[in-house]
Amino acid sequence: MTTQTVIRKQDFHRVGEYIWELPKTFRSDMRVPVRIYADEELLEDALGDKSVEQAVNAATLPGLVRYVIVMPDVHQGYGFPIGGVAATDTESDGVISPGSIGYDINCGVRLLGTRLMREEIAPYLADLATSLYKNCPSGVGVEGHVPVSKTELDRVLVEGARWALERGFARPEDLQHTEEFGRMPGADPDKATPKAKERGKDQLGTLGAGNHFIEVDEVVEVYDEEAAERMGLRQGQICVQIHCGSRGFGHQICTDYLERFERVIHKYGIRLPDKELMCAPFNSPEGQDYLKAMACAANFAFANRQVLTYHIRRSFEETFKGKINRTEQGVPVWDVFQVYDIAHNMGKIEEHEVDGRRVRVCVHRKGATRAFGPGAPGLPDDYKGIGQPVLIPGSMGTASFVLLGTPGSMAQSFGSTCHGAGRVMSRAKAKREVRGDVLKQQLQAQGIQVRAGSMPGLAEEAPIAYKDVDRVVNVVHHAGIAKKVAKLVPIAVIKG
Amino acid sequence: MRPEASSFEEIEHTADWAIRVRGATLPDLFANAARAMYSLVVDLGALPLTETRTVEVEGVSVEGMLVKWLNELLYITEMDHLAFSRFHIEALDAPGDPPEGPIGRLLARVEGGPARELRKYIKAATYHGLSVRRDTDGYSAEIVFDV
Repeated sequence: MTTQTVIRKQDFHRVGEYIWELPKTFRSDMRVPVRIYADEELLEDALGDKSVEQAVNAATLPGLVRYVIVMPDVHQGYGFPIGGVAATDTESDGVISPGSIGYDINCGVRLLGTRLMREEIAPYLADLATSLYKNCPSGVGVEGHVPVSKTELDRVLVEGARWALERGFARPEDLQHTEEFGRMPGADPDKATPKAKERGKDQLGTLGAGNHFIEVDEVVEVYDEEAAERMGLRQGQICVQIHCGSRGFGHQICTDYLERFERVIHKYGIRLPDKELMCAPFNSPEGQDYLKAMACAANFAFANRQVLTYHIRRSFEETFKGKINRTEQGVPVWDVFQVYDIAHNMGKIEEHEVDGRRVRVCVHRKGATRAFGPGAPGLPDDYKGIGQPVLIPGSMGTASFVLLGTPGSMAQSFGSTCHGAGRVMSRAKAKREVRGDVLKQQLQAQGIQVRAGSMPGLAEEAPIAYKDVDRVVNVVHHAGIAKKVAKLVPIAVIKG
Repeated sequence: MRPEASSFEEIEHTADWAIRVRGATLPDLFANAARAMYSLVVDLGALPLTETRTVEVEGVSVEGMLVKWLNELLYITEMDHLAFSRFHIEALDAPGDPPEGPIGRLLARVEGGPARELRKYIKAATYHGLSVRRDTDGYSAEIVFDV
């Protein structure tokens, strides 16, 4: 049973302009403090639901180092808050916790760029939105997904986006611009459960429902010209974001391993305030098996976003070939290149400095983005000097941001930052207050094309259900755990 | 077993979907939880009764069994494009205390029909804050779904 805890603003110490710390003495079972990145208003928002209580519960996990970190876009989740980061020591008593990574393993965001400018695509925008909706299937059993045999699915699970490259769904440079280069190491398909494989085999290349989307954006503001140029971004340019994850495959991996962990947790003597935090020692057989299965789900998601990228390229070609003939350096301006692809639900084994020594930790990021600074390992050569691109989608109809990881994120937050706007209103309340068809009309009146499978689903994702993404991004920028590069606004939204 | 509509209610949750379920007996609780879940996913009144499935669940806690029961049903829904509205719990043996206690077992027959178009996609039933409680009116539980 979850321990009921009342948390007030005065329980925090302000340790920086945007950092609030809840000491580990706040509750006797906490092993580390909780640090929240927020301004005063966002802190009030965080205290408005159970997200901070969930972070306090997470602070009881065995083997945590430093503190549990809460990002400014935090909202209440299940077990671990959405917008949380926790690092456990893999060399001593640290655990791995599937619920602290999430059901949608390697849910993430991919940003694609073009050389098209807003004014030149205006006459074709409706056609582009329709083509994207048609070519990028949202659900199960929809024409357009890539069916794979059991043997080929195992290759997807091991190779990730490399499988997509072999099958002609990718360009080599796409993989260079993907976290982990599109292939999470250590995946073992024998550790992925049979049910997960059954669910996954017909879902490759599908978007899914809920808050997942494809969005066509315009770059409206550039804050760092040099970094933007390195990423191929400039004012007025057309980009595309994909937000989706590992579909039913990842959900089933999480479900099945939570059940397995429940069967063995007593033998490790671990007591938790919430069963959803269920975990196993990192170095236990169960912990290691989950790590290998999680890597399979991560690779499924990388391959999934890569197949969707292929479909998006088809849509741009269908819409603009023969209509816009402008080229730059011999390449049609409607050609789609990859800026970067990030995960925001993931467990990663990384080395970080803790109290002056290097420690190998398992960084759980649930609704939080890796934000490695310049020179960090794992970055492609062309981004080594600027740091890792971080992609922050806003709520539907509002701005999104491109950020970069910083030395500050490496020092303060295990190389992590926020992941989006963060909800402040329940889905039920959003549906009571907003009608999907009215919202669609309002967005269309703002010049945003909307293609959506479900009007109630659209209403649940209404902008009033989310925090102000500008405010969230300003907190991480000023706190130094990411820096702003560019701002995007949507001109077409495609939802399942 | 036809649970009453008042056997569950929705609870506010910022990001996901949460319900409070009641049942006079433990089997009622399990049946009502499944019915509540499907009331979110499909129009139960319009669902045909053309398909029957048998579901078996094991677990080391009643809570774990409840989560697994709902997730088994979600799995069938996703794989076979079926939804269910009638839940006959034919056997339910609660687990003993771990580690020595016996494993809990549930056997159920569920009735429903094709549901290709779902109102909502549920990723999973979660363990979050889940506690099956017993009082003078029977059993109750709060369940959070990742949606």
